[in-house]
This record gives sequence, C-alpha cells and structure tokens, in this order.
Amino acid sequence: MDQFLGYVRPDGQVGVRNHLLVLSATGLTGPTGRRISQALPGAVFVAMPYDGGLLGEDRDAQICTLIGFGVNPNVGAVLMIGGNPPKLDHLAKEMSKSGKPIVSISMDECDHDAITLTERSIRAGAKLMLEISKLRRVSCPLSKLFLGLECGRSDPSSGLVSNPMLGLMADRIVDEGGKAVFGETTEWLGAEHLLAKRGATPAIEQAILDAVLDNENRAIAAGLDLTGENPGPTNIAGGLSTIEEKSLGNIAKSGSRPIQSVLKYAEAPATQGLHAMHAATYAPESISGFTASGANLILFTTGQGNSFVNLISPTIKISANPDTEARVKEQLDFTCPDVFSGEVSLEDAAPRFLELIIDVASGSKTWGEVLGEGEEVVSRFGGSL
Amino acid sequence: MSNGWDAVVLNPIDELATALRHLKAGEVVRFRVGDQPCELIMKTDVALCHKFVVRDVVAGEKLRKYGEVVAGASESIEAGAHAHVHNIKSLRAVQK
Repeated sequence: MDQFLGYVRPDGQVGVRNHLLVLSATGLTGPTGRRISQALPGAVFVAMPYDGGLLGEDRDAQICTLIGFGVNPNVGAVLMIGGNPPKLDHLAKEMSKSGKPIVSISMDECDHDAITLTERSIRAGAKLMLEISKLRRVSCPLSKLFLGLECGRSDPSSGLVSNPMLGLMADRIVDEGGKAVFGETTEWLGAEHLLAKRGATPAIEQAILDAVLDNENRAIAAGLDLTGENPGPTNIAGGLSTIEEKSLGNIAKSGSRPIQSVLKYAEAPATQGLHAMHAATYAPESISGFTASGANLILFTTGQGNSFVNLISPTIKISANPDTEARVKEQLDFTCPDVFSGEVSLEDAAPRFLELIIDVASGSKTWGEVLGEGEEVVSRFGGSL
Repeated sequence: MSNGWDAVVLNPIDELATALRHLKAGEVVRFRVGDQPCELIMKTDVALCHKFVVRDVVAGEKLRKYGEVVAGASESIEAGAHAHVHNIKSLRAVQK
C-alpha cells in the first residue's frame, strides 16, 4: 500500500511540512512580523494586509482564512501578532482547537511599541520553533492527503494532458479516502453542465450552475469582455481562444468523482471526497483559498510556465508542453511532453507522478520551495468602511 | 494524442483540431478522426497547441472541441486554416 511520511497533528490531520507560522493578523503589524520571521530562520511568514472596516463577505473570509492558515496541518505551531486582544483571542481560541501550540501577542500588550513586540515575539517564536523541531515524520496513508488542484498560464497542453493527469491523481486520492478541492469558478463557464452532472445531490448540482451564472452575470454587469481577460494574453498566445475551451480543459483537473459540496472561499470541507470552491480564478488567491480550507499539497499545472507557488503547502508544478519544458527547467517538478507527443499514455505516466507526490509529501522539496517563490494572497470581495 | 500524428481531434464530432507540433502552410498533416486516419493540406501556419478547422466552416457556425461547443465562427474559415481569436469567438458572458 502506498504511504507517505508525514507529521501527525493532535487533531489527527497530517502535515507534509512542519512550519512555524508567523502570522500578522493585521496590516499594522506586517513589517514587525517580517522582522520577527527573519530572526527565526525556517519560519514562514504570512501578513494579512487588512483588518478594520471589513464588511460582510470580506470580514468572514478574512477570519476564516486566518484561522484556516493556522489550523492547516502543514503548520506545527503559530506565532500570531496583531493589534488588539479581542480579535487575536478569538483567532487563537479557534486555532487552538487543532491542539497545536498557538501563541499570540498584541500591540496593545506591548504599548504599541514595535521593538517590544519584536523582542517578545522572537523569544516566543524561538521556543515554538524548538518545540516543533522535536516532531518526527511517521508513515501515513494517502487518505491523509488533501489536494488543492490549480492551473495557471494554461495552454491547450494543460487541457489535453496536465489537467487530466491531475484528474487521475484526484480520483486516486479520493478513492483512498482523502480529499481534493478545485476552484476557479469562471473557468467552469461552458463546462458547467458536465460538472453539475457530478454533483452528489440535486442541491449541489444547482449550486454549481448558480455559481457559474453568478460569475457570468458579474462579468456582463462589469462590461467585461472575457476574451483577453480570461483567457488572458498568455493563454491566447499559447493557443486558447475562448473561456469555453479553457474551462473544458480546466475541469479535467477535478477528475471524475462526485462533487460533495460547493465551498465558499477558504471554507473547510465537512466531508472526505472531492469539493468545488466557488472562488477567484487568479492562482495566488485561489490557492490560498485551498490552503485555508486545509489542503496540505497543491498540484499546479501550467502550459506556458508559472513561477508562483503556495507558501504553506508545497506546490508541485507540472507541464506537458515540450517548449515550456525546455524553457523553465528550474520551475517544473514534473514534465510529460512524452504524453503530449503520444509516446507514452497518460495512464502509463501516472505512477511516476504519484511517486513524486509521495516523495514531496514525505519531505522532498519542490523547485518553488527551493527558490522561495511561495506567498499567500487572500481574496477581497468589496470595499472597506 | 498518438505517436506520429501531427494534430489531435479529441472527439469525432469536433470541427477543431489541436496542433501537436508547429505546422506550416502547404504541408500535409496527419491526424485521426475517431479511428479514421485523415490527411489535410494546411492553409496557414499553425503553432504548437493552436487550432485549425478540419473542414470548411461558415460564419456563425458553432465549433466544437472535446465534443463540446467552444466558440462560434465569426467568419468563414477554410479547412486547414488557423482558428483563433481573429476568426472564432466565445459565446459566453457576451455583452447584451
């Protein structure tokens, strides 16, 4: 049976990494947080740029995302800083349900002196770092993987080969009892009838159709011509002509299993299996939504090349385009131009990709990790008060 | 995708084929429609991953790839000619 080596968390989730997360919960403490993380080599730093005046969907999404980053199983411990205790206390209380060590220090407790906050945080963070360094990887079943499925700077090779390859992996992990999530609602346009058929219930079928209609109507209301926007200039240069063509390639990433729910941005799925996230298409936002929902490993296809990776969850980059393989060697963790050319079948190449997934889940680095291309980018939905 | 073929037609009902290498105007290209081997003389250059129509189409026709409608022809296009944003258009999120 295929297994990987992961970090078992107190709540039973399994991390494929063991990060100390330095989390600045408000834009006010961003620079201080960066300074703190630089003093703690190996820590990952996430700064939430917004706080006061957030409304409705933004308010919910920011809280949900902050908590989600904290409880993501790739995080071993959290050092959180921010402005005031009430918000930090709420976030820390929610994150503590994971059973992991969470320390929060507010500016209010430091008399709003960034140097005091820096000193106290470095001491607290160092202690956390030492503590999580004692954790060891153990053998875990593939059911403990939660895949986030993304594509970026796609071209027709994505829809023909790389996305169907992700679909095979999604099916495999779902069949093992794990989880997978795909998003990018705009890229369901023209393919929504095929996705909706896979809704586990009539309500989910309808939710998929409603999500697409919502995005299509918003594009029309904004006076946006999708061609040139999505597909964007790189997609068009690569050979994609319309959103329908792009979508039909995109949804291949989701494989063939039933869709168990339509999630809001950053919402954690309530069950195992495959889930759809009604969210932004732009890769940095989309992937952060997956990570906040609990995805511990990201599979990211590209046609023309895309250097971006997620910070909290390792991101395996795959392309089938032979020209791209020749161009960006230190970006692509897996290439299969031999499948594109027809020398090897998708099914025959799949075990090689699964082996890489298991290696990376067990600690082997991705190019994006080695080069430090990771970032978290959280969606906004409207203006602030 | 099959070894030695120049383009792929994903579904036998598709009008659109995808180039598996850089194709040149005037060259004979080979692809399959279902199990049926086909040949066509290219009317234009078509870059790797870009599309061409496998039969003559007229303006307004719906064009398929993956067996699904992906665009409408905005002008008549000859078999073997590049089909892209200059002559095919999305049918979705169209401004009213």
